[in-house]
Amino acid sequence: MDRPQRRSGLLNVGGAAALAATAVLTIAAAPGEPPPLHAMRWLAPGVDVARILTHTPVECLTRSRNTEDTYRVEIGRAAFRTPLLLGGQAARAGIACATCHRNGRTNPDFDFPGVSGAPGTADVTSSLFSAHRGDDIDDPRPIPDLGGPKDRLKISQAEGSPALKIFIRGLVIEEFDGPPIAPAVLDDLVAYVRALNPKACGPTATTPMRASGAAEDVRRAVRAAQAALTRGDAPTAAVMVESARSQLGDIAERYAGADVAATRSQLGQAGLDLAAALESMRRPGPTNARERLAIFLARSDGWMSAITRDEARSLYDPGVLTARLAMDSVTPRH
Amino acid sequence: MPMKRLGLAGVAGLLAVAAPLGGALASGGGGGGGGGGGSMPSMTTPEYDPAVEYQNGMAAYQAGKFKDAARNFSHVTEAAPGEAHGWHMLGMAKVGAGDVKGGSKAFERALKIEPGSIDTAREYALTLVTLKLTDRANAELAKLKARATTCADTCADAAALKAAVTAVEQASTPAGAPAAALTTPGGLIFAPDGDAAYVRAVSLINERRYAEALVALDKAEAAFGAHPDVLTYQGYVWRKLGHLDQAEAHYRAALAIAPTHRGATEYYGELKVIEGDLPGAKVMLARLDAQCAFGCVEAEELRRWIDHNGDPGS
Repeated sequence: MDRPQRRSGLLNVGGAAALAATAVLTIAAAPGEPPPLHAMRWLAPGVDVARILTHTPVECLTRSRNTEDTYRVEIGRAAFRTPLLLGGQAARAGIACATCHRNGRTNPDFDFPGVSGAPGTADVTSSLFSAHRGDDIDDPRPIPDLGGPKDRLKISQAEGSPALKIFIRGLVIEEFDGPPIAPAVLDDLVAYVRALNPKACGPTATTPMRASGAAEDVRRAVRAAQAALTRGDAPTAAVMVESARSQLGDIAERYAGADVAATRSQLGQAGLDLAAALESMRRPGPTNARERLAIFLARSDGWMSAITRDEARSLYDPGVLTARLAMDSVTPRH
Repeated sequence: MPMKRLGLAGVAGLLAVAAPLGGALASGGGGGGGGGGGSMPSMTTPEYDPAVEYQNGMAAYQAGKFKDAARNFSHVTEAAPGEAHGWHMLGMAKVGAGDVKGGSKAFERALKIEPGSIDTAREYALTLVTLKLTDRANAELAKLKARATTCADTCADAAALKAAVTAVEQASTPAGAPAAALTTPGGLIFAPDGDAAYVRAVSLINERRYAEALVALDKAEAAFGAHPDVLTYQGYVWRKLGHLDQAEAHYRAALAIAPTHRGATEYYGELKVIEGDLPGAKVMLARLDAQCAFGCVEAEELRRWIDHNGDPGS
């Protein structure tokens, strides 16, 4: 299972349009130093990092007019996006369901040491990720596009079939060593995956990643937490808040420069607000979590404005990201 | 208007959960100097609340706001000048802010109060290396080596001393093996060279083939040196093999190199749960919570251990 050659420390970064439309810049990452975006760590060598990490596949999510269905899909959608659903090495590396299935799709550039073969593949029975299902056989498989045709997927998603639920539970608990998953969250993950449908994909394959879109995902997760609390489902609400926190961290990671420090600070404060809400949920007895979440949402306009204002100076901007990568290549940090 | 002090003893509860070093600070601190223990409060009243300043300093430090952190910790040292931890963190913050000389002086002050601190001795020596004060750096390195020799791998600090010596030696010889990411979770998995042994080791651990895992970790150590990722998993394997002292030594060594290493902090906390030291485990959890502004699996896993008073998976 050990691969004879891992990435050599060289990351090939496509020049963004702002710098050089056609140039492909090969840069050397500082040895052992974490890259500016953690998602770079599992990108295949030679890919256009700036483009990949500033664009995302279009989500093919079917909208429902049914309130209950919408609630369940929103819960599943947020759970899909948090590493804390998983365990072991995957979670420690920051892997979530959405890492391999970006926006519920696939990830043709995924290349994880000891787990991937060709880019876009994963051996989910690798002992690196699993203490339960490791089979010591190096058999990475292509990561399926969950927004693709249902009949091409291995697991039946037919209504009434338990296959998908059993499969997802096995993935989370056994293949990724995740902690026990709240029953409702498991059901809602199933609901989310079922709601992905090629008919809902839209005309374009990818779309630029925007700070506002990422922020709205955070707010959706918090609203889902509020809805779960209203239903008296604190465990599910906690997963939602954890998802909001980790997604907020993904945003903060993009505001790394000294010139956007104030915005990063605002995001940090928002993270503390979510942590306080989570702590309130965990505490026995009366909780003020709902109030804290409401306050969070009320305050979110402030940091959303800030991240939108500073977006052109953040790593959401392909040019800024490319420049940052190039700077890292010539400025050793040690 | 700056906050008035509450009295050091009065903030013990706050600091116990606010910062890993706070317990000592809140205890009134040993080691001489002024400002301790709440004696003669009317004469020793500092202008700042050291507990609040320490907490804010840790938050700023974790957020990478080193200048702010340095300001907070300087307030701590004003309020509690006899407390080594405040000086230590002031040094860390100053170095983070690029003021290596200022950081070095802070570490020097901390060492005068607490000469036995391996962490501070290591950081002090590293600043001397950076400042190219070679003779003084070598003198500090020699002190660490002498302690390591006296220890002869048998004392509780053996691994920490070994790691400190390695860190200073590597800093002194930049042409040596490249340093890998120290605190990034799972950092070595993504390291450019020598990762095969490390990846293999992690897989073997998951397969519960601990003896083989130790061999693979030794190979990884040969490639990376005393890297905290390697030390952490060595500690984990020793724990699984029932050698809790060895486990602790390795966790401490990892944390000596990288005080904010999440994996080492989590596993050290789990070890404390196993040993029945729930307060100690909660201190580790507080560290993780302080580090993980946006949440992290290490904190949640340790939280589950504490809630279950043991391995939640058993």
